[in-house]
Amino acid sequence: MSAIHHPGEDLLWDYFRGALAPGLRLSVSTHLDLCPQCRDDLRVFTAIGGALLETTEGVAMSDNALDLALARIERPVDLPEVSDAPAPARRPAFLEGFELPPSLQSAEIRGRYFVAPGVWMAPIALPGEPRAAKTYLMCVKAGMEMPEHTHRGREITVMLQGQYRDHKGLYQRGDFTQCDEADDRHMPVMMGDVDCLCLVAQEAAIIPKTWLGWLLKPIARI
Amino acid sequence: PDSKNCAETPEALITRIAGTRDRAAYATLFTRFAPRIKAFVMGQGMTAQEAEDLAQEALLNVWRKAHMFDASKASAVTWIYSIARNLRIDAARKAKRVRELPEDLWQGDGDKAADEQIVDTQSAQIIKKMLDALPPEQKDILRLSFYEDLSQSDIAKTLSIPLGTVKSRLRLAMTRLRTAMDGKSTGVKS
Ligand SMILES: [Zn+2]
Ligand SMILES: [Zn+2]
Repeated sequence: MSAIHHPGEDLLWDYFRGALAPGLRLSVSTHLDLCPQCRDDLRVFTAIGGALLETTEGVAMSDNALDLALARIERPVDLPEVSDAPAPARRPAFLEGFELPPSLQSAEIRGRYFVAPGVWMAPIALPGEPRAAKTYLMCVKAGMEMPEHTHRGREITVMLQGQYRDHKGLYQRGDFTQCDEADDRHMPVMMGDVDCLCLVAQEAAIIPKTWLGWLLKPIARI
Repeated sequence: PDSKNCAETPEALITRIAGTRDRAAYATLFTRFAPRIKAFVMGQGMTAQEAEDLAQEALLNVWRKAHMFDASKASAVTWIYSIARNLRIDAARKAKRVRELPEDLWQGDGDKAADEQIVDTQSAQIIKKMLDALPPEQKDILRLSFYEDLSQSDIAKTLSIPLGTVKSRLRLAMTRLRTAMDGKSTGVKS
């Protein structure tokens, strides 16, 4: 089963050129872990970059550049392997049983708190994230529904477990969705009997409790 | 394949570096790629000195990581490009961090490593040929994207066309290139 909702070309491009803020970067990275199709797009970007590099007219290096280069390879390497993957962060107990993609295994996930019965959030600490932005895991118990609400600023959701439906379609593991002011009558409905876990990245300051606290209400299981 | 230096592929040069720490091969590779990397990142806004340093660093990385390169799977040029690209992104983030968040510590944040985007040599060749054949308006988008490192909304401003047009042209170009690559792709995955 692979994702059917993807980040747009513009977001993928900004990811590729390293221009995304940390929360968005983590969201795209998480989607990439779960989406071979978008990984292929990055591969095309890389191939284009390589081809363009190959056909680029060079700019002369300074006179001693080659000597310097040959001297540098004789020097011992100061650090052992620099490029090793970061050690996995300690995983909080409440994440037991969830299958997290690699991008999140090294993320610093803080303690969770309940914002409503059956709904918890766990903030993710991201170095360099703008103060106003928030990135967190959100888990919604199966059988809840989120009544109509609006969005302020851009909000990205990557589904990690479970599924929900809204006016744009059905979302499940790997799916990437973006909401903003244009989605002013948003009403996602959680589907199935598996709890929903998703990664959410908000660009603008929204105090989650103000909208989640009163918007979520349990509904009868069918 | 014959071993005349001028005819030697970058794949063969990197393989020799990995195998025997061949300094002559490194010198050839350096001479061939350092000026191009320098030009490439200067176009993206680096000063000549920064670009020269980055080119040095990129080739040094090629020397150190040569054993990780698999010539049977990957195109050398795209591999070198990925290394340079990652260094440039790191440099940009460091600069930004120093400007905005002097006390902030940096750590891995889940970015994909360069060698996870392996492009096989055959696909690299196809893309190179296909790039020439793209309609000029699609080529313009790619040129501004890669050489000038612009976002799509900046490209729209630069060309005075709607963002939607930029998106659809890039999508068209990507679809063509992807289809061509898929036709031949060996499906190399990390
Ligand atoms: Zn995707
Ligand atoms: Zn919503």
